[in-house]
Amino acid sequence: MKYAFYPGCVSKGAAPELYRATIEVCKKLDIELDTETMEGASCTGSGVLQEKNEKLGDTLNARTFAMGENSGLPIMTICSTCQGVMSQARSRMADLEYRESVNSSLSDENLEYKGQAEPRHLLWIIIEDIGIEKFKEKIVKPLTGLKIAPFYGCYIVRPSDVLGFGENPERKHSLEMIIEAVGAEVADFPGKSACCGFPILTINEKNSMKMVSNHTLSAKKEGAVAMVTPCPLCHLNLDGYQPTASKQVGQPIDLPILHLPQLIGLALGIDPKVLKLNQHIINTESVVSALALTP
Amino acid sequence: MFDFDVIVMGAGLAGMRAALAASQNGSKVAVITKVYPVRSHSNAAQGGINAALTDRGDNWEDHAFDTIKGSDYLADQDAVEVMAREAGSEVINMEHMGAAFNRDDEGRLGVRAFGGQREARTFFVADFTGQALLHVLHEQVLSSGVQVFEEWFVTTLITEEERCVGLVAMDMRTGELHVMRSKAVIIASGGVGRVFEPSTNALICTGDGISLAYRAGAGIMDMEMVQYHPTTLKNNGALMSEAARGEGAYLLNAEGERFMERYAPNMMELASRDVVSRSEQTEINEGRGIDGCVLLDARHLGEKLINERLLQIRQLGIDFAGKDMVTDPVPIRPGMHYIMGGIKTDIDGLTSVPGLYAAGETACVSVHGGNRLGANSLLDTLVFGRRSGEHASEWVKTQAPASIDDTHASRCLEEIQSLLDRDSGEMFGQIRLDLGQTMNKHLAVYRDQKGMEQAKSDLADLKQRYASVMVQDKNKIFNTNLIFTLELGFMLDCAETTIIGALERKESRGAHTRTDMPERDDKNWLKHIVVSQSNGKPKIDYVPVNITKWQPQERKY
Amino acid sequence: MHVDLNIARFDPESGEKKPYREEFNIEVDETSTVLDGLIKIREEVDGTLGLRCSCRSAICGSCAMRVNGKAVLACNTKISDLVSDENKSINVEPVGNMKLIKDLIVEFDTHWQKIKAIEPWVKTDAPPPEAEYIASNESMMELIGVMGCIQCGACVSDCTVLAVDESFLGPAALAKAYRFLADPRDDANNQRLKDLNEPAGMWDCTRCMQCVEVCPKGVDPMGRIMKLRDFAMEAGYKNTTGARHAEVFSDIIKNNGVLNEFWLPVKTFGMFNIPEMLKLAPIGLKAMMRGKMPPIFYEKIPGSKNITKLFEKTKVV
Repeated sequence: MKYAFYPGCVSKGAAPELYRATIEVCKKLDIELDTETMEGASCTGSGVLQEKNEKLGDTLNARTFAMGENSGLPIMTICSTCQGVMSQARSRMADLEYRESVNSSLSDENLEYKGQAEPRHLLWIIIEDIGIEKFKEKIVKPLTGLKIAPFYGCYIVRPSDVLGFGENPERKHSLEMIIEAVGAEVADFPGKSACCGFPILTINEKNSMKMVSNHTLSAKKEGAVAMVTPCPLCHLNLDGYQPTASKQVGQPIDLPILHLPQLIGLALGIDPKVLKLNQHIINTESVVSALALTP
Repeated sequence: MFDFDVIVMGAGLAGMRAALAASQNGSKVAVITKVYPVRSHSNAAQGGINAALTDRGDNWEDHAFDTIKGSDYLADQDAVEVMAREAGSEVINMEHMGAAFNRDDEGRLGVRAFGGQREARTFFVADFTGQALLHVLHEQVLSSGVQVFEEWFVTTLITEEERCVGLVAMDMRTGELHVMRSKAVIIASGGVGRVFEPSTNALICTGDGISLAYRAGAGIMDMEMVQYHPTTLKNNGALMSEAARGEGAYLLNAEGERFMERYAPNMMELASRDVVSRSEQTEINEGRGIDGCVLLDARHLGEKLINERLLQIRQLGIDFAGKDMVTDPVPIRPGMHYIMGGIKTDIDGLTSVPGLYAAGETACVSVHGGNRLGANSLLDTLVFGRRSGEHASEWVKTQAPASIDDTHASRCLEEIQSLLDRDSGEMFGQIRLDLGQTMNKHLAVYRDQKGMEQAKSDLADLKQRYASVMVQDKNKIFNTNLIFTLELGFMLDCAETTIIGALERKESRGAHTRTDMPERDDKNWLKHIVVSQSNGKPKIDYVPVNITKWQPQERKY
Repeated sequence: MHVDLNIARFDPESGEKKPYREEFNIEVDETSTVLDGLIKIREEVDGTLGLRCSCRSAICGSCAMRVNGKAVLACNTKISDLVSDENKSINVEPVGNMKLIKDLIVEFDTHWQKIKAIEPWVKTDAPPPEAEYIASNESMMELIGVMGCIQCGACVSDCTVLAVDESFLGPAALAKAYRFLADPRDDANNQRLKDLNEPAGMWDCTRCMQCVEVCPKGVDPMGRIMKLRDFAMEAGYKNTTGARHAEVFSDIIKNNGVLNEFWLPVKTFGMFNIPEMLKLAPIGLKAMMRGKMPPIFYEKIPGSKNITKLFEKTKVV
């Protein structure tokens, strides 16, 4: 299995631990990553660009899709936001007339999106391409006894009609499937598909922090020892700003937030240091030591 | 005790239009509504609103004539003239207030064809014209000084010296009763569709205002005239707008035949509603239906037009019939939709009780006579809503406040308390269902003496059962169980007037079609039937039809 | 067909402060909706069950409630779509973000206040023409898309911002505001944008798409909010953090092809916005100590000039 790897800006910038963990985990899962095809790919626009100019955003993504198509490889993403924005762009460009008009801007680079490329998140690839049973076979260190809260990130769950939930209904609870497959227990809580608050961090920090504290505290209430997310932007807020949120709400939180490949990596027996679990703002030692105690 | 110049009961189009008119004319106005204004049933009007705009070559006389012919000559022609003449300014007024009517290529208001009319003069907002107008009027009420009592339920009208001087209403949020004094009351509380089961009408259409006026001594007119809409869904009775046929959809029977050819060769699917409904029912009765329905076929209109102009009913078909009209014909059948009758008023909305006005479906002016044309109901609400508001606000200037007090509330409270104190008996639900089924069986598209008499005797039984009805919920806050039980009382009153009128009218006219008396009889029955209460008993009066210049003719489409 | 409706009940007169659960096991038709089920309970089993409903055709907006955790209209939610041979249970709760009155009935007062706050009526400078305003059908179709809103409150219920901040105008009111800004007849755009540009207005939306997902009428409230932002920026209201964030974001992508998380907040607040910079500093320091500080010098993707070109080619007209 080989994929054209689209890492997204954040794993190349503020969340290098996600990039590292992805590389390591894919090695163990026999997922071959082509890291060169997408080197010239741009940001998806993250929904922010689309706010101002939807067509521009779609053009950037068409460019990325065309690069993927040229490589002959399926595209893999590791960010809920990238995934969602790309899925939305893809859905709009299903309209042939619109796609053609988008493609016309790409002719300078001799690129054309033919409507075939379908970027998919690592989360979905594990379930759909590897298969959850086969994935389970690769687990060497089941996370038995750990209660993990899932946190999806908006764009990988909404709008549901562009995310292929019809043909792939398991996508709706894919994160829970992974948590269970790695031997952990799901700490279900109401905010799991709500907003993390990141998009309004600079606009209304108070609301953003309240979202962080609400989600983390309600996950803890359900017994979670950690939270896992397939979205590095959610991670930035839930981990990076958890101390601020904690201060605002006036109570300690200290809930480690794991990137999806970090959670998987632990169960695959990869050294926590290699997974860069020491690069988080919220100390992940509690997870690592809890794991050390498991058989 | 609250005190106002004018109190409007109901916050649909007629009510809010009346309230705005009265308020703009300087009155202190309250609107009392048992649901939030935008929940009102005016929402359900889909297809549009009629007006003959002279600047596009139409004229009000043509509109008036189509309306009168559609009414099977039972409409009062002076009233129809008023409505047709004032239609244009009402539509333009709504446009100025912000209604987003569909446009033609020149950017002017676009029109679509509608049933029973020789000209396309129906202005529309996609296929949710009623909703669009209702929300626009609500916006205007928000910007006005009108005070709205939301989720308040009217239990009684207060009359003093045969004048209406206020009402008693329950704040549903607290369960408390309040006396509301006013110099005029305008009833605009809509129709009484729920007396029939099924019906296109919302669950709130329980005839509250008609019954309250009846109890207060007002005359109730032409209640036998019940419109069955030709295109309703079988499952839940939901309405599929006439706009579908206005845009060109066909009606087909089981053999795939456009059967309207045989009944209305000129107007085909766009004959007036009573004609189309009878034709469908005949097809179904004679074995050319499919599972009790015929088909509405819009496939040839194409997805683009359907999405632009019929989107809501496309979704209704998908949701409630499992049929997408883009790809499939939708099974439909005639279903109870509207009452042409109501509280008898003059052209200013005044009833036979001084100080008491009525407008909209609640009222019978009469502009619809034996059969209402599609897209005339919205027009009726606006024209006569405004006229009632204006007239009432002038009248109150001449009136002194009545000397009523809170004892009116305590009397109502006692009645309600005795209802709540009853610990055993039947709940309202089954009684209402039995009522609806009886009415729908015996007072439907086709009627006869035997059936109507059966309905009369069923109604007597139902009234007896209602006399010992039990309310299960004994609480005060949002006691809908109590509200529904009180509503059922209103419905039984309305059903009584319908059955009396239907048995009385010994001919076939408009929606009142008797298989045992199939001919129209202008010699004896070119008149309205008015039912009122006299010493607790129903009394029948006749009122001649007002004819200005259109003599009754044979009615062909 | 059998179904177990698990309903959140609340009796304000019992003295009990919290809602409780009650399950009703009933038989319904294949075609029955959740609303049909609830009405059946209300009329045949328990007359005290409180809920609002009226039209049964998804136009009056009365029966919004949360079914299996998601805000829907009960009247167009089919029971058969929610149950299976293994699972016959359906969870029914009142809508969120509104104060509970009784069972499934909530207070809409705040919602209506917000609708009123956006001054939802056409405002014109000049008296209207004698006949109708001349306007294109396209412009009316754009309004019709928003006017399809039935004020059911589903979007308000599931809005993630309202869940943490009840002062937020919210998706329904903001979509309604858009309806007037997009109306060619309205002359009050400037004032409207000025008001909506304030805190708790258009910039507080997180773009989480909950409102888009739950809207039963396809109104796309979030899309309308994004258009409001567009209008505001075009009208010169650029002095909000949100507007600057959008502009800076766009500039960074335009020049580099990818995002740089160091410069985004710094440029958004302005380098010399000392209080905000001080707030950022500890987070930056912590991140640096963990070895995850984004590079201060711009990293460009290979061929980033092509991206710049695309930006120029695809200008909004």
